[in-house]
Amino acid sequence: MALRVVGQNEIRVDGKAKVTGKALYPEDIYMDNMVFGKTLRSNRPHAHFTLNLEQASQMPGVLRIFTASDVPHNAHGVLFKDHEVICRDKVRRVGDPMAFVVAETEKEATAARDAIQVSYEDLPAVFDPEEALKPGAPLVHEQGNLVYRFKLRRGDVAAGFQESHAIVEQEYRTPMVDHAFLQPESGLAYMEEDERVVVCAATQYPHFDQLEIAEALALPTEQVKVVNPAVGGAFGGREDVTMQIHLALAAQHLKRPVKTTYSREESFYAHSKRHAMVMRLKTGADREGNLLATQVTIYSDTGAYASWAINVLRKAGVHATGPYVIPHVHVDGYSAYTNNPYAGAMRGFGATQIPIAHEMQMDALAELLGISPLEIRLKNAFVPGSVTATGQTLSESVPLVECLEAVAEKLGLKQSLREVSP
Amino acid sequence: MKTIQLTVNGKEMTLTVEADQRLLDVLRNNLKLTGTKEGCGEGECGACTVIMDGAIVNSCLVMAFQADGKSIQTIEALDSEDGSLHPIQQAFLEEGAVQCGFCTPGMVLSAKALLDKNPTPSKADIQEGISGNLCRCTGYHKIVEAVEKAADTMKEGGESHGTARRGTK
Amino acid sequence: MVQKVYQVHEIQQALELLHQHTHQAKLLAGGTDLIIKMREGHVNPAVLIDISSMDKTRIIEVQGQEIHIGSTATFSEIQEHPLFQKDLGAIAAAARSVGSPQIRNRATIGGNICNASPAADLLPPLLAMEAMTVLRSKETSRLLPLSDFLVGKEKTALKSEEMLERVWFRKLEDRSGLGFSKLGIRNALAIARLSMAVYLKLDATGRCLEARVASGALGLTAQRENEVEAFLQQQVIDETIIDQAAQVLEKTTAQRLAGRSTLPFKRQAVQGVFRDALSQALKTSLRREQS
Repeated sequence: MALRVVGQNEIRVDGKAKVTGKALYPEDIYMDNMVFGKTLRSNRPHAHFTLNLEQASQMPGVLRIFTASDVPHNAHGVLFKDHEVICRDKVRRVGDPMAFVVAETEKEATAARDAIQVSYEDLPAVFDPEEALKPGAPLVHEQGNLVYRFKLRRGDVAAGFQESHAIVEQEYRTPMVDHAFLQPESGLAYMEEDERVVVCAATQYPHFDQLEIAEALALPTEQVKVVNPAVGGAFGGREDVTMQIHLALAAQHLKRPVKTTYSREESFYAHSKRHAMVMRLKTGADREGNLLATQVTIYSDTGAYASWAINVLRKAGVHATGPYVIPHVHVDGYSAYTNNPYAGAMRGFGATQIPIAHEMQMDALAELLGISPLEIRLKNAFVPGSVTATGQTLSESVPLVECLEAVAEKLGLKQSLREVSP
Repeated sequence: MKTIQLTVNGKEMTLTVEADQRLLDVLRNNLKLTGTKEGCGEGECGACTVIMDGAIVNSCLVMAFQADGKSIQTIEALDSEDGSLHPIQQAFLEEGAVQCGFCTPGMVLSAKALLDKNPTPSKADIQEGISGNLCRCTGYHKIVEAVEKAADTMKEGGESHGTARRGTK
Repeated sequence: MVQKVYQVHEIQQALELLHQHTHQAKLLAGGTDLIIKMREGHVNPAVLIDISSMDKTRIIEVQGQEIHIGSTATFSEIQEHPLFQKDLGAIAAAARSVGSPQIRNRATIGGNICNASPAADLLPPLLAMEAMTVLRSKETSRLLPLSDFLVGKEKTALKSEEMLERVWFRKLEDRSGLGFSKLGIRNALAIARLSMAVYLKLDATGRCLEARVASGALGLTAQRENEVEAFLQQQVIDETIIDQAAQVLEKTTAQRLAGRSTLPFKRQAVQGVFRDALSQALKTSLRREQS
């Protein structure tokens, strides 16, 4: 079979535009008659608020200040519609949008945004997912702070620990992480002659954005067009809508092209983070280092909004054994709302946090048993035919042992390898 | 408001700039040279790198009025009008050193300033030369390889773009 | 908000403008700190005087027994200057440890000194060399030791009409050397978590005649470390003495940073950074003895 692309050295289609600086990212697009938007964001993690727009709306160059009452259907979100497009009277995190100010120039929009008077009435806030699930914790959303409960049961962990010669019990915490894609969010929207609103923004899901914009503005989807120009990195951080609906709303009302570009600082406030997780693991092995049981509890902090909370926690839970055969497994996971920045997709999607925990458990067990970290991994590694904790039989490529052996060889650990290889 | 005279990509020009405009703002907004990017606005990321009087600078940390009398080179100066690329650009393309592309203009200019000064850089020299440019797609290895390749090409007679291959790679 | 901007080429023009506008004006050199502070709204000068194109204050030269560095000399110029490639390599190393090539092409020694950040990288080696600052105003000129110029965190003895024209320090004598070491969180663009410079002068028998130790990011300003200096005096510097000196410095650190969250890290780190700077200084002193 002749392969036209695989195995060939192909030049990427947008490569030439990018090396010459001609590739257009949204902020590089200038339209005639274009105006600029700036977002007013909360500086409180949890508060009721009211806005006084009187002074700001009379500032030079101001065309309109959009607030919650301008949004026909004030909700969006990838799994649950728990984000308000523009918050109405309550903010749930620092950075929540409270108004979108449009003016003739960026400077005027900024000045007017800064002139809006905000009165906050602070509410008790919660910043830890475990605290958020305790009775009496401040409610981030009315329906409660538990977003998702994950359960995985296989075998009988109590029996597994009973048989174990060595048991390691530890707590691990990983922090939230920002994607810091190099191009801060930017976009512009304009009306086409046939009354279609066009949103041109750096995004990961143009089709999904189209749906979200149409729903929020109560438009048929064919009235919304999303154009995805060059995107300066995303890594999951552009899966949730940030400015898209604000821009469409403003263009629709003002009938002029509206542009907004976030600063690096605003970018940090605007988009999701990797979920911070608290992970408690108890892992047992027999005298030879064969894993017998693991009991895992995960608290995943989704911050103020759910975004992909369910999928991310599920992935973490499914991967809680690591790439190792363990007969007795008991995993409990909880994803909770807090007043932290909201968490969402980021490279690995839940499969980056848990390895920190299960791999440190392996090292600790190896130390306790007096065997090498390599040996304990080789002993328990998934191979073709292994059955995972979720009951999946791994029938295809499972090259973990080959990988470990290659690394061991590079590190000059061949000796210890031979001792354990069958 | 202040009137300044400067040379941008070989063209002498007189511009009226605001007191609070940065060189970056003038290049992007006034001259529409949008190949110069703003990634952070505080000199950490290098996406706004331009060459000023032969040396790379962050154009977000140069006020426009400070550029009075200076000569500026942006990414738009590198490729020829007939569409042929500078050997550095060609090497970035061929080595797969471009991903999202947002760091690329700054990266290419840092590489150019380095090779103009040191045509035979070591790997460490290249790493140092691009240390002020962040690539968040983490394509550093390929970027370093591209600069090595460009150095080879330029040594072997400059204009024969991108045909040389390193035997060892 | 900035109302008026000037680009000057002669120091007299800068001094005249400072005289006219005094505290309303701010000198702008490399801009790598000031422009960020202005955009964040922390500094709001009405008048900006750009001195980055002022070539005459850009000198790096030997005057008799002294080395003079003009205030608008950039980090790149210092890093690459022939005077700092061998025995005074610690000065180039300190310059090279700053920012990135882009930053070093703009940032100036004058800015580094006048911003007086506790973590400013050039300050420890300059303090260890007992540098003098030359301060000019329209009508006056005065000389102040750098250690007196730095009065606190981001505070200096500079008056609103004055500018730093240059710094100078004496060349290394025989059997003396300078070392510099810095700990940052990454190679490029790292702000010093801790830095240290050590100057040593030995006698013919290898005994320490004088030690000057200066730290960065170990207090409100870069500063001399008198206790460890006194300890090193008259000692033959061997492994035991280095260990003991590192402990003296650890004690100083513990006292100065008591109650700070950075103490557990810095009391350990200071010892390694000090050993590194000291061994470089020692190596240079011994080399300069043989030659």
